[in-house]
Amino acid sequence: MLYQPDRSQYPDMGPDGKLDIDLSSGKYLKLWQGPQHPGITGNMSLELTVCGDEVVEGKVHVGYLHRGFEKLMERRSFIQCFPIVCRICVPEPDFNEYCYAAAVEELAGIEISERAKWIRTLILEMGRINSYMMYLGGQAGALGMGVIGQWTTYVRDLMLDRFEELTGARIYHMFIIPGGVRDDLPAGFEDRMEETLKEIEATLKDVQEVMFQNAVFKKRTKGIGYIDPSLVDSYGITGPNARAAGIAKDVRADQPYLVYPHLDFEPVTGKDSDIFTRSDVRRRDVIMSVDLVRQILSRMPKKDGPLMAKLPNVLHWKIPRGETYIRGECSRGEYGFYVVTDGSGYPRRVNVRGPSYTHAMSLLQRMIVNVNIADVASLMVSLHTYPPEIER
Amino acid sequence: MMLDVLSPFRAWKNLFRDPVTVIDPLNDRPGAARYRGFHQNDVDLCIGCGTCEAICQNAAIDMVPVKQLEAPGKDSGLRPKIDYGRCCWCALCVDVCMTGSLTMSNEYKWVESDPEKFRFIPGVDKKYWDDAELGYHRPEDYHLTPHTRAEMGEMEADERISNFDEIVYGYTREQAIIEADRCVSCGLCVATCPAHMSIPDYIAAIRDGDYEGGLKLLYETNPFSQVCGRVCTHRCETVCSAQHEGDPIAIRWLKRHITDNVPAEKYAEIIGGKEPDTGKKIAIIGAGPAGLTTAFDLAKMGHKVVVHEANSGPGGMARYGIPEYRMPYDVLDHEVSVIESLGVEIKYNTRIGKDIAMEELQKDYDAVLLSIGLHLGRSTRIIGTDNPAVAKAVDLLRDITNGKKVKVPETVVVIGGGNVAMDIARSVARLQKQTYGEVKLTVTALEDFDHFLADPEEVKESFEEGINILDARGPQEIVIDDKGKVTGLRTWKVKSIFDEDGRFNPSYDETDEIIHEGTLVIEAIGQMSDVSLLGEDLTEKLEWSRGRIVVDPDGRTNQEWLWAAGDCVHGPDIIHAVADGHRVAKSIDKHIGKAKAKSKK
Amino acid sequence: MRELYEKLKTRFPLGEFTDQRDNLGFITVDKDQLRPVLYHLRDHEGFSHLVLLTAVDWIEEDRFQLTYLLSNRTRSVDVGLRVMLDRGEPVMETIHDIWPTAATYQCELREMFGIDFPDSPGVMDDFILEGWDDLPPYRRDFDTKKYSDETYAHREGRVTHDPAEYMKKQLYPDEV
Repeated sequence: MLYQPDRSQYPDMGPDGKLDIDLSSGKYLKLWQGPQHPGITGNMSLELTVCGDEVVEGKVHVGYLHRGFEKLMERRSFIQCFPIVCRICVPEPDFNEYCYAAAVEELAGIEISERAKWIRTLILEMGRINSYMMYLGGQAGALGMGVIGQWTTYVRDLMLDRFEELTGARIYHMFIIPGGVRDDLPAGFEDRMEETLKEIEATLKDVQEVMFQNAVFKKRTKGIGYIDPSLVDSYGITGPNARAAGIAKDVRADQPYLVYPHLDFEPVTGKDSDIFTRSDVRRRDVIMSVDLVRQILSRMPKKDGPLMAKLPNVLHWKIPRGETYIRGECSRGEYGFYVVTDGSGYPRRVNVRGPSYTHAMSLLQRMIVNVNIADVASLMVSLHTYPPEIER
Repeated sequence: MMLDVLSPFRAWKNLFRDPVTVIDPLNDRPGAARYRGFHQNDVDLCIGCGTCEAICQNAAIDMVPVKQLEAPGKDSGLRPKIDYGRCCWCALCVDVCMTGSLTMSNEYKWVESDPEKFRFIPGVDKKYWDDAELGYHRPEDYHLTPHTRAEMGEMEADERISNFDEIVYGYTREQAIIEADRCVSCGLCVATCPAHMSIPDYIAAIRDGDYEGGLKLLYETNPFSQVCGRVCTHRCETVCSAQHEGDPIAIRWLKRHITDNVPAEKYAEIIGGKEPDTGKKIAIIGAGPAGLTTAFDLAKMGHKVVVHEANSGPGGMARYGIPEYRMPYDVLDHEVSVIESLGVEIKYNTRIGKDIAMEELQKDYDAVLLSIGLHLGRSTRIIGTDNPAVAKAVDLLRDITNGKKVKVPETVVVIGGGNVAMDIARSVARLQKQTYGEVKLTVTALEDFDHFLADPEEVKESFEEGINILDARGPQEIVIDDKGKVTGLRTWKVKSIFDEDGRFNPSYDETDEIIHEGTLVIEAIGQMSDVSLLGEDLTEKLEWSRGRIVVDPDGRTNQEWLWAAGDCVHGPDIIHAVADGHRVAKSIDKHIGKAKAKSKK
Repeated sequence: MRELYEKLKTRFPLGEFTDQRDNLGFITVDKDQLRPVLYHLRDHEGFSHLVLLTAVDWIEEDRFQLTYLLSNRTRSVDVGLRVMLDRGEPVMETIHDIWPTAATYQCELREMFGIDFPDSPGVMDDFILEGWDDLPPYRRDFDTKKYSDETYAHREGRVTHDPAEYMKKQLYPDEV
C-alpha cells in the first residue's frame, strides 16, 4: 500500500498561485538540504519547507558550480574549446567532447573516418557504464546501502583503467577531438576490456541481489516518486526518466548517430515510473551497454588510413556563419550542444543542453511536494541529476 | 517476499575476499603507456617557436630564455616553462609542437612543499621522468597544422629551356590559401629577415583576402617586395618552424602572390604618402636595391633624392646579375616606377668619375650614398684565364640583360657552384638551345652536393634543363690548343676545401683528373666592386677591409658625407641590401637633419 | 524540412529558412508570431518537446536572437525558431504556460542576457548569480578577461617573451 500523506495541515494557495506559508505559525520549518550532500548529485541545494515530515514546497538552488563554460568558449579558438568542454560534467565527460566535436565538424564541413566513429561510440558507451555505476552507488547510498557504492566504485575504477590506456587520462579524457579521435585502440585492449566487462557483470548480479531484491529497497522505492507519462513532453523529460514511464525514447534509436545504426539494441523501458523502475531501467541499461561495447569491439572495421580527418591549421581555424544542434543519448537523457558560429575563429555562442536542466529544476520542484523528507534524497537521486549541466 | 529479505545477505559472500586496492600505489601503479603525465622537452630539438604557448588555452606556458642554449640564429633561444598550477594536461602543446620535441611521460607523482617548484622548464630543469619512455607522444598521421607545401605551377623543362620567360607561374588564390593556412605565426622568420618584414601579418592578410592591406605591410619594410617575392634569398624559410615536421612555408611565393594580386596602378596610392619637403638633397650612386631603398625612405621623409646609375636601366644586381627567367624586367621596372612616383630622380648612363665627378656630388649634395654592387667578376687565376675565350659570369649576364648578341659556342664549361654559376649556366643553356637546338654545358663546382652553395631548386632545375653539374671538382688549368683556342677545362677531384685551421686551401686527388670539353669557359666564383670611381684621393682616405669599404653600424664611412650600402659592403644578398638601405636612410636623415641645406632645391 | 517550412508559410508570415540537416532546420519568426507558430507546431505538427531555449547576442547587429528548439519525437526531426529582439529593449513574451520548463530557461536568460520575460514565474529570482551587479555576463560586451583581471590577483613571477623579438635581439644586437 502506498504511503498516504495527511494533507489536513497544508497551507492554502493564494490567488497568485503561491503558497501562503507563515513560518511564525510554528507549523512549518525551512530546511536546507545541500549544497554539500552525500547523495552524489553534485553541488546543489534544496530549500525545503516542511510540515511535520512532509515537504510542502521545495525550491532548487544552483550556482555552486558555475564556471561559465559557455562564455569561456567564446574567447577560445575552436581547438582551444576542445579541452575544456569535458569539464562541464565529471561523471560522463565524453558527451561534451562528442557533441562539441560533432557540431564543429558539421559547421566546418569535416567528414570523420569510419573507425573514429566506432571508437567514439565505444567511448560513449564506456562512459555511460561509468555514469550508471556512480548512479547505482548513489541511489543505494541515499537509502543507506553504502556497500553498493563500494562495489560500483570498484568496477568504475576498472573502467577508468580502460579509459586510461585508451585515452591517456582517467576522468577528463580529452580524446574525442574535432576531426576524429586522438589515437587507435592500444594492443590487447579488447581482451582487457572483456575482463572488465565480466567483472561488471558479476557486480551487477550482486547489485541485483543485494539492492534490487531487497525488501527495504523495494519498500522505499516502489510507488514513490511517480512521474505521470503526460508530463514527459511538457517537462522536457528524456532518457531513463522518460523510459521508466513507458515512453521508449532513446536518441540512439530515434536519431541514430555515430555507428548506432550498425548495432543491435532495443531501448530499455519500464512501466511504473517510480524510483524503483527508474533504478531498474538504468541497471538494465548497463547490461545493454556492456553488450553494446562487445558488439562495437567485435564489429569495428580494421584501420584503413588515418584516424584523424585533415584539419585546417587549428591556430587560425575559422568557421563560416551558421548554427546547429547536436544531441546524443547520455546516461541521464538527451544531451546536446547548440553551437553558433559567425565566420570568426571563435564560437559565437555555445549552449549546453543537459537533461538535468529540466529534471532537476522544474520537474523536481514539482515532484518534491508531498514527499516525506526521508525520501527526498532518494527521489532527487532517482532523477539522476548533475547540477553542472544546469549552470555549466 | 521471503527471498527479498534473504537476498541482501548474499553480500556476506565477500567477507573473505581479498581487497581489490593497490597495496603500494606510489610504486606499483605506473601510468598507462599513453598516459598524459608530466612534460618532457628535448631542448636540443626545440626551437623555441612558442606555438605551444599560443595553443595553450590555460595560459600555462611562458617562453623563457635559457642561457646555456643561446646560439643566435638557430632558434629563438627561448624554451617553454609550464605552470602546473594552470596546466590541464590536454596535450595540445604536444600535438601542435612544430618539432616534436615536446612530449609527456607517464609519470604523475610529484611531491614538493614549495608551490613555486611546480613551474618548471621541461628538459632544462632536470626531473626524474626526463628519460621515461612511456607516456603521451603525438600519434602518427595526427597533425594540427598541415605539413605539405602548396604546389607551385611552373613551366616544364623542355618548354622553358628555349626562352627567357619567367619559369614559375605564381600561386593561384587556392594555392595561396593552402599555403598561408599553414603558417603558425611564430615570427622566427621576422627575427631572421634582415629587413624584418612582418611575415605572419601579411600571410594573415592573404588568408583574409586583404591584398591591399598585405601590400601596405610589405612596402612598410621592403620597397623591393615584387623583386624579393621572386629572387629573395629567403633566409626566413630556413628558420621556418614548419620545416621540422614538414615543408617550410613558401614565404617568398606568398609575398609574390600579394604583389601579383594588386593592380599595378594601385601601388603608388597604397604605398605612397610623404612628409613635407625638407630642402635637403641626397645623391645616391647606383640604382640597385640598396640605393633605391634608401631613396624610397628618404623621399618619404621629404628629402630630394637623385640617383646616378651607370647602366641604362634600374635594378642594379637584381637586373644585371639575375636572368630574366627568374626576374622579369617589366616587374623590376614597375617596382622602380613606384619609387620614382615618390619624386626620386634617376639619371641613367651616368658613370661617376666619367660623366660627373665624385667631388661634385660631395659639393652639391647634403649626403652621398655609395651603393654600387658587385659588378666585377673574380677570377680563379689558373693558367689560361687570360685567354679571350675565358669569360666572367657577371659580364655575360650584363650583356644578356643589355640585349647584346651574346655568341655562345656549342660546348661550354662553367666554373662555380653558387647561384650565379647556375644563373649563367642556365642562361647560356637557353642560348645554346636557341642556337644549336641542344644543351652541352658542364658546371664544375668545388663543393660536393652535400655542401652545395646554390639553392637546391636551382640545381634541380638545372639538371632538368640538361645541364651537367659535377660536384667536388677543382679547376687546374684552361686547356688551350696549339692555335691558342680554348678546348676545355682540366679539373681534379677535391679531397677537402679547407685545411685544418679552417682556411680556404683545397687539396686534390690528382689521380682523378677530367678534361671537360668546352670552347668557352665561364668563371662564376665570386664578384667584387668596381671602386675605380672613387678616385685615388678618396680611396686613400677611406678605411678598407678585405677589399670592402669599412662602415659603422649605420652604414656611414669614415667620411662624414659618405655612406655605403648593399652588396658592395656586405656581399651579395638582396634582402640584406634592402635592410641596409633602410638603416642608411635613417642614419642619413639623422645626420643631415641637423646640418644646413647645401642648396636650395 | 523545407516541406514543413512551405506548409507553415501558408499560415504564418515567416522569415529566413536554414536547412541545416535532413532532420534539423531553422526558421526566423516574428516576435508576435512566435506563440501561434509554437502552438501550431506543438498541436498540429507533433513538435511537443521543447529541447532548449537560449539566446545569441548579435551585438554588431544590435539584436538578440532567441532560439526555441522544438523536437518532434515521433518523426525525430527538430526545428529551431529564431526570434530577433531589439537589443535596446529586450523583452519577450513568456511561454511557460505552453512548456512549464520554459520558466527555468527564461529565468536564466533574464539573468545572463538581461532579456526580460514578464509574468514568467520566478523570472526575477537569482538563478546562479547571487548579488550580481555588473552587466548581464553572457552579453558580448561583458569582458570576462577584464572582469577576472580586476577581480582576481595573478600569480606573481610569470614573465613570457616573444620568440620573434627575443631572437631578433640576439641576431641583430646593433638594431634599436
